[in-house]
Amino acid sequence: MEQPTIIEERLYDLIFICQPATPEEEIDKLIAILEHTAVERGGKVEKAEKWGAKRLAYRVHRHREGYYVLLTLRGTHSDMVHELERRLKVSDLVIKFQTVRLDEEMKRQKKLAQRRERKAARRPRRTPPPPAATPPAAPPAHSGGEPVAAAS
Amino acid sequence: MAEEGRPQGGPREGGGAKDSGPRRGGRRQYFRKKKVCRFCSDRVDFIDYKKPELLMPFVQERGKILPRRMTGTCSRHQRWLTVAIKHARNIALMTFGAGH
Repeated sequence: MEQPTIIEERLYDLIFICQPATPEEEIDKLIAILEHTAVERGGKVEKAEKWGAKRLAYRVHRHREGYYVLLTLRGTHSDMVHELERRLKVSDLVIKFQTVRLDEEMKRQKKLAQRRERKAARRPRRTPPPPAATPPAAPPAHSGGEPVAAAS
Repeated sequence: MAEEGRPQGGPREGGGAKDSGPRRGGRRQYFRKKKVCRFCSDRVDFIDYKKPELLMPFVQERGKILPRRMTGTCSRHQRWLTVAIKHARNIALMTFGAGH
């Protein structure tokens, strides 16, 4: 078997939709299996949220409703998501799933927040000079009669 | 020509303008409220695809993404918004369009 490559830590959102008639125990069991798989592959489940049965925006496998589950994962192995998705694919309960990588978004978010903070810290120092040196300049009222183009 | 872009002579029917002196022709015919990016004013750094209720104002009734000239969203946020809407569609939180 191919050795999984170790990568820098990544954050993922894994959402899956189960059939609406699935009993809770089955869903808990499935979540436990996924958690185990993630741990096996060098990752961990940070958060497991059950949103409950919700109406789907469109029909999926003839279902109009689905039971949403959200897992937030952290992992360093390249094959963790692959294995989790394979398991979801073979499960009969699951009608739809999606994995979204989030760590880059988070990094960007942090960067923007830091930049804003830095700007906010710099602003007070800059503001004092302008009030002293800005007399409110009234715009000069034009009285020169230039014929304006309204000939149409 | 520069004048072509401006609508001229349309809504100036008030007539009773009391401006003494020169007429203000060509300018100030009507005001359009400047649209502001809603995400910029709220200082949003991340648009979450898991909250479709926040994305709903930016799609048409049938699910089409609205262009930013309609909503006033800035280009950066429109880019993030588009991705978020597409993620939400994929997981059946939002519709791709009517008829599904």
